[in-house]
Amino acid sequence: MLARVANNLFWMGRYIERAEHVARYLNVNYFSSLDAPNELSQSRQFVLQSMMFLVGEPINDDSIILKEEDILFNIGLNANIPYSIINNVKYARENANSARDLISTELYESVNKFYHFVIKYSIEDFTKKGLYDFTVNITEMTAILRGKIRGTLLHDEVYAIIMLGINLERATQVIRIINAKYNDAVMAKGSYGDKISHSFEWTTLLKCVESYDMMRRYYKKTPTSISTLEFLILNPDCPRSVINSINQVYKHIRVLDESKSPDKNSTAFLISKVKGEYEFKFAEEIEGDIQGFIEKILNSLVQISLKMENEFFNY
Amino acid sequence: MPMNSDVKKPIFSSYINNTALFDEVFKTNGAAKNVYQKLFELYGNHSIQDYVQLNNKAKSSFFNQGITFQVYDNKETQEKIFPFDLFPRIIDEDEWKIIESGAIQRSKALNLFLWDIYHDKKIIKDGIVPLDLISSSANYLHQMIGIDPPGGIYNHISGTDIIKHSDGNYYVLEDNIRCPSGVSYVICNRTALKRALFGVFNHYKTHSVTNYAENLLDILESVKPKGVDVPNCVVITPGMYNSAFYEHSYLAKAMGVELVEGRDLFVENDFVYMKTIRGPIKVDVIYRRVDDQYIDPLEFRADSSLGVPGLFAAYLKGNVCLANAPGTGVADDKAIYTYMPKIIKYYLDETPILNNVHTYHCSRPIELKYVLEHIHELVIKPVDEAGGYGISIGNRLSKAEIKVVQEEIKQNPRKYIAQPIMSLSVHPTYIDDSESFEQRHVDLRTFTLLGNKKEFVLKGGLSRVALKKGNLIVNSSQGGGSKDTWVLKK
Repeated sequence: MLARVANNLFWMGRYIERAEHVARYLNVNYFSSLDAPNELSQSRQFVLQSMMFLVGEPINDDSIILKEEDILFNIGLNANIPYSIINNVKYARENANSARDLISTELYESVNKFYHFVIKYSIEDFTKKGLYDFTVNITEMTAILRGKIRGTLLHDEVYAIIMLGINLERATQVIRIINAKYNDAVMAKGSYGDKISHSFEWTTLLKCVESYDMMRRYYKKTPTSISTLEFLILNPDCPRSVINSINQVYKHIRVLDESKSPDKNSTAFLISKVKGEYEFKFAEEIEGDIQGFIEKILNSLVQISLKMENEFFNY
Repeated sequence: MPMNSDVKKPIFSSYINNTALFDEVFKTNGAAKNVYQKLFELYGNHSIQDYVQLNNKAKSSFFNQGITFQVYDNKETQEKIFPFDLFPRIIDEDEWKIIESGAIQRSKALNLFLWDIYHDKKIIKDGIVPLDLISSSANYLHQMIGIDPPGGIYNHISGTDIIKHSDGNYYVLEDNIRCPSGVSYVICNRTALKRALFGVFNHYKTHSVTNYAENLLDILESVKPKGVDVPNCVVITPGMYNSAFYEHSYLAKAMGVELVEGRDLFVENDFVYMKTIRGPIKVDVIYRRVDDQYIDPLEFRADSSLGVPGLFAAYLKGNVCLANAPGTGVADDKAIYTYMPKIIKYYLDETPILNNVHTYHCSRPIELKYVLEHIHELVIKPVDEAGGYGISIGNRLSKAEIKVVQEEIKQNPRKYIAQPIMSLSVHPTYIDDSESFEQRHVDLRTFTLLGNKKEFVLKGGLSRVALKKGNLIVNSSQGGGSKDTWVLKK
């Protein structure tokens, strides 16, 4: 496979995954805040700030009053803002376009429909009444895309490259969402009358990554900070967990690098190293220094991506 | 259900059959011709309303598949589909035999002609084609003199534009042997028609058009460089913003080969490599959809970022095959076209199977005089433009416009040829604005492949329709649409 095209497919996977997480974050936070158990997490400003935090533009000044329509527009459909969903979808399709000969007709058609759905969506509808409809459609369409990727592509290196993009992005987004909700839990601490470890935000966090039902089935208890972190970071059977994504990344890099013991400068080696570290962690270690954990793992994921670029996409 | 279903109009109810034109479907008495009778009956069962629905479905199928081109207005780019008409064109077996053998005959003759003018130039020495026609052509590449292309083939892929004249005979308008496009639409049109009106195929035995890509790959592999066992073939495209990018990606996908851009390739020791995730891999045959002038900045246009530095040198060494060969453009010059009957006779000792349209050379003083005096009844074409650009149709011009054309021709007579205004046949075509079928002019682009001891003509072709009433220019860049084209089996 051409190095340039591999790079494009890798990023197609990343952008599809990113669009989904941002859309779901908007949806879950907005709608769960409507009947949240305390005043702060019910307030519009709190939710809008949380959304800005997720997309990497935290609002550190409480005196700034955020306007709901502006924030939704910027994150959803503002084509001039790099992190907006519309841009993620545009980039995903642009990348699919340039690899059109390699991906299946079925996958391309779905990417294309996805793109047209987003660019045709009325901005007014979206910011006034369409938040639910828009974001649910995004998450459903990305699920279709994942199905087409899995079901209509040969499971060869093309597939491996796309899956590497998807899983690296998924790990990154799940950690970013954990970070954002952790931040919310800290801010909303005083208003619960209970401890941060039993914050309502943990439930929202699980819903943000579509893992609430799975988690309930696994623990059969109300989520706490420990059980939530354990589930979302360290449980290999949870398809959204960080370790699950890293395992997937490992599996797919081995399609590209089949050497028995990968070179110490290779991507496969680095991924094995990161994987090993989190295989033998326990949740209390993370809870003790959650900020430190987040910084470290995000950095590891960036390093993996850079390594891939050097090893495979350098054209 | 529509409220007033009883007022549904049958599909051909307001068709106006102008008998002055050659209608391919209807006889002058209004009855459908034999081969169309069943189709006429089947379509006749639909009301206009049904048809509009089917038409919209077909359109959205094209749109969702991203078979579109970009239109730029001042604010944003818009995606449009190529207009497609659901009423197919039928060519029966006997007529097709003529077209097919005629297209192969022309391709072979052109290939021999190209070999000759880049080697011994016998045809010039024998006085059949004048030297200045070659030496004055911008597309004649002196770098190709004495070069033997792999397999001896120059024009691997030819697109021949053919019309049916009001006398019922086929005439060739143009031979396109640089980078003819459109074949992907032949396949899309068939797919769209099958999706919308699968039932009609039960009543006709139509040749498939999906075997083009496998034949193209066979042809490309047949011209592999010497010493290569299993050739690595690729398609090179100018990139995803090129208007024919869909076609490039379709062909690469259908052949199962890589679609590369210039920046994906590099040349080392006169061999060509592509940059893959596992390092460089040698490339042996390149189906290039990049024009001669852009393929290699070291040899041709230095400002080209689409090409590959050193590619031409690798070609000259015989280490890579380019299809079509550089320098083929000299033979699809419209001035060379006029010599086609003589070229066929000279190399093959055969009479041309397909007619040529009589052509006047403005470079010849006597013919120039005739052209200048008869512009109102002629089509004036620049010899080196493609896509229908620069064409003037005499009977559409005002007196002032005729004056302008006259001046342009006088300035540069070598640049122009003139032909009588041919009356292209018409085919019933659905027109959105009037919500009815109307007569529209059509032509046919056939696709011929020529390889080392292999040849192939796609059984079908692109029937292009001029959607504007009375318009004779069918090119998609000029607002043309297309139809699925059925070649019938016996």
